[in-house]
This record gives sequence, C-alpha cells and structure tokens, in this order.
Amino acid sequence: MFFNIYMILAVSCFIIFSAYKAWKFAKMPIHSRLDLYPIPKEAGRAEYGGSYYEEIEWWNKPRAISHIGEIKDMLLEMLFIKKLFVKQKRLWWASYSFHLGIYFLFGWTLLLLINFALPLEFISYITSTVGIMGFTLAFIGNFLLLMRRIFDSTLKKYTTPQEFFNLILILSVLITGIYAWTTCISPQQFIGQLLSFSTLQPGGAVTVHLILLGVMFIYIPLCKMNHYVGKYFAFHKVLWENEPNLPGSNVETKLIEAAVHPPQTKWSAPHISQ
Amino acid sequence: MSKQLDLQLKDIDKKTDRLVEIDSLMPLSAPYDKEGMEPDFVKVKDAWKEKYCTSLDGIIGVDTLVRPSTPEEDKFVHKFINGLAKLFADSNKNFLQPLTLTMEYCVKCNTCSEACHIYKSTNQNELYRPIFRSEVLRKIYKKYFTRGGKLLGKFVGADIDINWETIARLGELAYRCNLCRRCAQTCPLGLDNGMLTREIRKIFSQELGIAPTFLHSKGSVRQLETGSSTGITKAALLDNLEFMEEDIEEKTGRKIKIPIDKKSADILLTHNTGEFMAWPENPAAFAILFEEAGLNWTLSSSMMGYDNVNYGIWYDDNMAQKIALQQFQAAKELGVRRIVIGECGHAHKAAAISADRMTYGENKVPVESCLPILWELVRTKRLTFNPAKNNFPVTLHDPCNVVRQMGIVQPQRNIIKTICPGFREMTPHGVDNYCCGGGSGFAIMQSLNFADFRNKVSTRVKFDQILRAFGDDVGNRDIVKYVCAPCSNCKGAIRDMLAYYQATDKFNIHYGGLVELMVNALSTIDKPYLTFTDELMP
Repeated sequence: MFFNIYMILAVSCFIIFSAYKAWKFAKMPIHSRLDLYPIPKEAGRAEYGGSYYEEIEWWNKPRAISHIGEIKDMLLEMLFIKKLFVKQKRLWWASYSFHLGIYFLFGWTLLLLINFALPLEFISYITSTVGIMGFTLAFIGNFLLLMRRIFDSTLKKYTTPQEFFNLILILSVLITGIYAWTTCISPQQFIGQLLSFSTLQPGGAVTVHLILLGVMFIYIPLCKMNHYVGKYFAFHKVLWENEPNLPGSNVETKLIEAAVHPPQTKWSAPHISQ
Repeated sequence: MSKQLDLQLKDIDKKTDRLVEIDSLMPLSAPYDKEGMEPDFVKVKDAWKEKYCTSLDGIIGVDTLVRPSTPEEDKFVHKFINGLAKLFADSNKNFLQPLTLTMEYCVKCNTCSEACHIYKSTNQNELYRPIFRSEVLRKIYKKYFTRGGKLLGKFVGADIDINWETIARLGELAYRCNLCRRCAQTCPLGLDNGMLTREIRKIFSQELGIAPTFLHSKGSVRQLETGSSTGITKAALLDNLEFMEEDIEEKTGRKIKIPIDKKSADILLTHNTGEFMAWPENPAAFAILFEEAGLNWTLSSSMMGYDNVNYGIWYDDNMAQKIALQQFQAAKELGVRRIVIGECGHAHKAAAISADRMTYGENKVPVESCLPILWELVRTKRLTFNPAKNNFPVTLHDPCNVVRQMGIVQPQRNIIKTICPGFREMTPHGVDNYCCGGGSGFAIMQSLNFADFRNKVSTRVKFDQILRAFGDDVGNRDIVKYVCAPCSNCKGAIRDMLAYYQATDKFNIHYGGLVELMVNALSTIDKPYLTFTDELMP
C-alpha cells in the first residue's frame, strides 16, 4: 500500500506545488510595462514587429488583437521550442528530443490510464509505442544535454552542481524506468495494481524507479525545472503584455487598487529619503 | 588578470588589478579593415586606480563610485545587500514579477550571448556575456536571501565572496550594457538580462546614491531643478527659438512664428533639449513641416514642458517617476489634447511605455510618436516632395526604444522609401536591429575614459553595419552618405563614432534625423536644407 499512497502523493505534490507557483506569479502586483516586439497578438503587424503605436491617435481606435496569432506562437513554442530552434539549433536537437520525450511520457501515462479503462489491444499497442518513443527521446535528449554541460567549457562554467543534479536525477529516473518496465513488470500490469489499490510488491528495480520517480515529481515544481510555469508568465504577462492604461481599462482598475497599498519599504539614497 | 576566455564567475571577488583586458575587438569592414584606422584605448592613470573601480576592465563608467576607506568597505557592502533585499520587497513592486522570473529561471543556454553587440564587438569577451553579470547577482542573492543558498551554498551556486571589489565591479558591469534588450528577444524562456542590469543600476542609485554624474546630478537632478538636463532655462529656450526662426528664414526664405505655450493646442510637441543645442536644424525642420501641414501645435516653455528626456528610465525609478509625472502635468496645464514626442528614442519609451502605469485617469495625457503623424502627412500628400533632392545614399538606424521596445517599425520606413531613392536597409534592421551603442546613457556619459568604451566597443557593431550598408559607396569620397537616426541619443553616439573614426572627414559619411531629410525634399522649398559643407580630409 505504501507505493500506492507514495505515488498518488507525489503526483498530487507535483500538481499542487506547480499550481501554487503559478498562483504566486499570478498574484504579483501589476508591473511596469516591458513590451518587447514582435508581439504575436498584434494583428497584421506581428510579422514585422509592429504595434498599435504605429497608428495616429491610437487611443481612439479599437485595438486589433489576434488571439489566433498568440495561440499559434504559443503552440509553436510549446510543441517545437521554436525560439531555440531559430536562435541556437545545436542545442535545440538535444533540448527538443528531451522535451518531446517528456510529452510522450505524459501521453503514455494517460494512455496507460485509458488502457486500464478500455483494455483493447490496439490501445495497448499505441500505449507501448508511445512509451518506447518517450523513454528513447527523453533519454537521448537528457544524455546529450548532460554531456554538453560537462564537455562544453562555457556551459560547464555557468552550470551549478544543482543543475547537474537536476539532469542526473531525471536521467536516473529514465534509466531505472527503462530497466524496470522492460524487465520486471509490464507498466499496464503495474498501473492496474496501482489504480485498483492492490498491494504493490515491486521488485528491487521497480522500487528504485518508483522512489526516484516520486522524488522527481515532488522536486520539479520546487526548482527551476518548473519553467513550464514561469515561461507562460515571462511571455504572456511581461514581454507580450502591452495593454495600455486607458480610462476605464482593466489596467487602470488594477492601478487604482494597487494605489491603496503604497510601498512600506523605503529606499535609502539621499535623493529619495530626504 | 584572466585571459578573457578563462574568466570565471568566482573571479569577480578576486583581488586583482584588472579582471580582464579588452585586448581583442571585432574587425571592422572595409575601408576600416586595415591597421591604424582607429586610435588605441586611453591608458588608465594611476590616480584613477586609487580613486575609482578600474579593476573590472579598466573603464570607468560610474564616476561617483569611489573607493571608500577600508573601514567603510563593509558598510558599503552591507548597504548594497540591503538594496538587493529591497528589489524583492514592496519597494520594487512595479518590477517584482519580471525580476523574479528572470532571477529564477535562467537555464544558462547562452542563446542571449550571440545577440549582444558588446559581446560580439569584443570577440566574445567572457565579461560581457549577458548572463555573466546576471549570474553574479544571482549568486549574491542566493547567498543572502534563499534558503537553498544558506543551507547548501556552493551546491546551488551561492559560492561567491562578497567584498567591496565584488560589488563595485558589479556596479561598473551594469554600465557595460546598453539595455537594448536584444538578448531578451532571443531568450527561449522570455527572460530579460537587460531589465536585470537596470535593476542592478537601481540598487546603486536608489539605495547607495551612486549613479554616473551625467545621468544623475548633471542629468535628472538638473532637469528637475532647471527644467532641462542640458541646463537650458526657459529664457535660454526662448532665445534659442528666436535664433531658430531667423535660421529658418535664412535657409528657406520662410517667416515662421514657432508657437509657444499655445493653450488648448491639439499637439504639444516635445523635443530632447539637446537638439536645440547640438542639432537645432531638427526642431526647426519639425516647425517647417508642422506649419506647412497646418497642424494645430505648440511647444511649451514651462518647467518640465520643453525637455522630453527622462534619464531615470536608465537607472532610477524614483527619478523616472518624478520627471514623467511633471511632464504630464506641464501638458495638462497647457490643455493640449495629446503629447507628441519628437525624434528621441528614450523619450518615446519613457513617456509612452515606462510612464504609462505611473499614474492614471485625469493625470494623464495621451502620448504619441511623431513618426505616424509624419507618415500620415506624407501618405495623404499634405506635404509634397521631390525625392530627387535626396539624391544620395541613405540608411536608417532603428532606435531600440522606438522599434524593439515600442513596435514602431513601418512609418519611418514608409517615409524614407518615399523621399529617398537611394535608401538601403542595414542588416539586421527593424526589431532585430543593433543598438547604436549610445543607449541607456552611454551617449551622454563623458567622464574619464568611458568614451573609449563607447567609441571602440559599444558602437562598433553599429559602425560596421553603417559601413556595410553603404558598401562600395563608402570609399567614394565624392558621394555624400547619410545615416538617418531619428533619435537624439543615437545621433549623439553616431556623431561621436563618426568623429572618432574620422568617417565624415575621410569618407563623407554624415548623420542626422528624419525630418531634416523631409524638409530637404520638400517640393515647396527651393534651397537645399542639408548642405554637407564639412571639408574632406586631403
């Protein structure tokens, strides 16, 4: 029963801690504008980096916002890590392989659940295929990223022991996973036992894998690997957030609310404090 | 001293005379690809070493950052740490979210490095890698303020010794970045090393009271005291405008009365007051164009109404806010419908973007760039041109604040394509442009040997872009070549760059604004507005 509870707890921690992180960013006070163009939601202008400031008396005109443009850019970034592909292709191969592998592994987990509810052969076949692809891509990507961090003198210089630890932790989860699911117990069988709350009696390899997997789930949202949360805010709520402060706007409402709580901490330079 | 590639983050606290030497520079394009085409760096004087922080790269950007007596060093460090804490407190709530994101998430992929023109200029000098200073700040922050840093130290990267040298070097290093934010544009995680650099500057200014003289005491402070960072008072401004009217008459034969303090005008046009001193032909050209188009406009002579600069946006939120709010107030008192910013990039950003959320409601006046208005006058043919009058090669410099940080890309291009048959783009351009090298205050920072850094390093990539844009025409001294820079600070940097490399004297390369080109091509004026009378070197 320990492993059933442990895994459910670990996944819950992953979700709760990630949500908490997102909530913390969302609750931060409205910030000064830091527009950085191109902004993909600028309809008809995103391609060359233009904005509504190219209009005369822009404040009297309706804003042309393209949500499709923004979603398209977001999807290209999420699914293909577009910026890295464009700006640093050499690193992209490893990074993309790793991230794509993780997406496949998420898909694999979902498919395992579906397959548990619908034990059909073709779903089982798809599940296995997706799992194999996920482990393979994630392993190759992670391994290459780790090697680059070790052997590229520039990357090495800026990499802290914790960042090596992060990569090694995931690599160890992947290696133990590959070993456990291919030699000890089928993942379908395992998920069945887990979800039916049958007592799990995993062997040594599965035990090691499950413990590492649980640690990883709990640890990821607590370190910078939770950039899946931060990236959304960095783009959508900072660089692409070019909402002007017009009378009656949401921005104005937020500013009025913020003005109720002026800062209590004061800067000390003479030109400010005197 | 470390060789530039060997430089490590932890070296920042080393007790050495100099962390790195700027011993390698990006080669320039022809005809500057030969030996002896540029002066060497000015040698660092011994007296400077004793007084300032020359232990970074030998350049002194922060002339108010003076070496304290030994007992005072700890106090200095302590104050810095206090300031760092305030960056993450409610005292900095306007930047808390972007700052926290950039502090937490950098994976150090180094994609940003290739985007940085200073890193590129110095042939990848490690010191100028955009994440170098960010990482130093992160290490200090972790050491003092995170549980991980306190408990695990080196494991999480909190492995730096903090002494006066560490902090002073970080302060200097914050003035080796133009805040152009080209690096942020390339970051796969959307993080902003330019913004982080400005946050370091803020600690120094807002907590320690340390900022370059030309930005603070001879900049923002002077502006709040006299109305202009140039020191031009209302009386001097009015005199200047009179001279300008005479100049316009002499050059164009037109008698123009420049409207000043006209109540309830549609447009309050604001200039960087530096224009009146260094390039009066620019505000004069605005007057000619606006009058010819019949716009209902005015200048202001009221305190804070005639100088649109706001140096605070480079180093100090407090100063930025004081200036911006008073500028809004000046427009409010005049009863104008809108503020139109003349050709000054940082004033565009300061008034339209940075100040946008500093106040609300009745305190604000809508802010607009001059560029869409000018394009509208061209597009609708309210002004008519004879492009043949601009019969020389022209290239366009994109001011970062107008383009990358405000999204105004096409109007200036549309104008220039209409009136300049010899127009050619730089590579890259638009939102991908390179900074002129004068951004974030560099154009006006003239203390000690800082001009060397600007002329040899920070403007280098731009100078090379200019040479490449003109290509074979550079070598032909009979052909006038014009760099159009619709921004006062960019013009300042380009002026110094062209003088430093003697590019005007040797190769007939000139610079100026956009409105001067427009007036030069006006079909209603017979005499050329641009004369290019500088004597070429034999």
